[in-house]
Amino acid sequence: MDRDVLRAEVKALLAEGLRLELAPADIPDDSPIFGDGLGLDSIDALELVVLVEERFQVSIPDEEIGKRAFASVAALVEFIAAERGT
Amino acid sequence: MSLAGRRVLVTGGSRGIGRAIALACAQEGAAVAFCSREAGGAAGETLSALRRTGVLAAAVQADVADAAAVATLFTTVREALGGPPDVLVNNAAVTHDALLMLAPEPAWRDVIETNLIGAYRCCRAALRPMIAGRWGRIVNVVSPAAFLGKEGASSYAAAKGGLVALTKSLAREVARFGVTVNAVSPGLVETRLVAGMSADARAELDARIPLGRPGTPEEIAAAVLFLVSPAASYVTGTTLHVDGGLTML
Repeated sequence: MDRDVLRAEVKALLAEGLRLELAPADIPDDSPIFGDGLGLDSIDALELVVLVEERFQVSIPDEEIGKRAFASVAALVEFIAAERGT
Repeated sequence: MSLAGRRVLVTGGSRGIGRAIALACAQEGAAVAFCSREAGGAAGETLSALRRTGVLAAAVQADVADAAAVATLFTTVREALGGPPDVLVNNAAVTHDALLMLAPEPAWRDVIETNLIGAYRCCRAALRPMIAGRWGRIVNVVSPAAFLGKEGASSYAAAKGGLVALTKSLAREVARFGVTVNAVSPGLVETRLVAGMSADARAELDARIPLGRPGTPEEIAAAVLFLVSPAASYVTGTTLHVDGGLTML
């Protein structure tokens, strides 16, 4: 899948799935998903794990992989692409 | 029928307290699966009793001390009940009683592996669909030994004490997703073990219990039923002591 399309899908999932007060287009590519950036805490990550796994058919089995995948929107896009071999 | 439409998994469900919990959930209309280490005998009888209530029921042979078996258990239950469990009762437990100074490490470790790590594994396998569905109930069966200690049972007490702490921690982690996590602490319960005791030993035990008698598996099941029912929607992270007043915490 094209990176731009995937990035847009990821941002849409973040905005809707986690009920952010930001429009998908306003979510920055490079700031951390959890922590200061979007006002989400580490427990919100559980829900994002469930949403991302279901939507993109990838597996985020543990904390270490989760930290890497959720470092930023850009990192999440790369993680999904790599997991799916695209 | 407070559990109509729910899917329940009880670990260690073929006999005793686990069996009573499985049956109570079925009588409230839930589809019920249970696992036990041994197939046949008691498991077959419990499965028949569950089916007589008219609900969808399944029995799976699985040892929660085995990570691969737990993974298979959840896949099997999902298929048998038409979806993942939204109620999980961690009841499976073993004992290897010995005074600590004389307790061999493999046996001590084995108790932690089944009673504590087994529950961790089942929680981990159950949580994703519960969070996705924004509803879930987890009940961990613990013991007065977790609160009072018990001579000759340090491994059991340590595992159950750990399970109480797991209950509180996990309750904090998943509360916002509509998932509650609680514990039930059964005191002395009328089982084959108690029935086999001498009259004197029995009288001595009963004297330590303010209500003056052992409980029944059904009395424990009633507490679990409360915790998974809509009546307990505002209860999480706690332990319900169903022990005739033995512990009083």
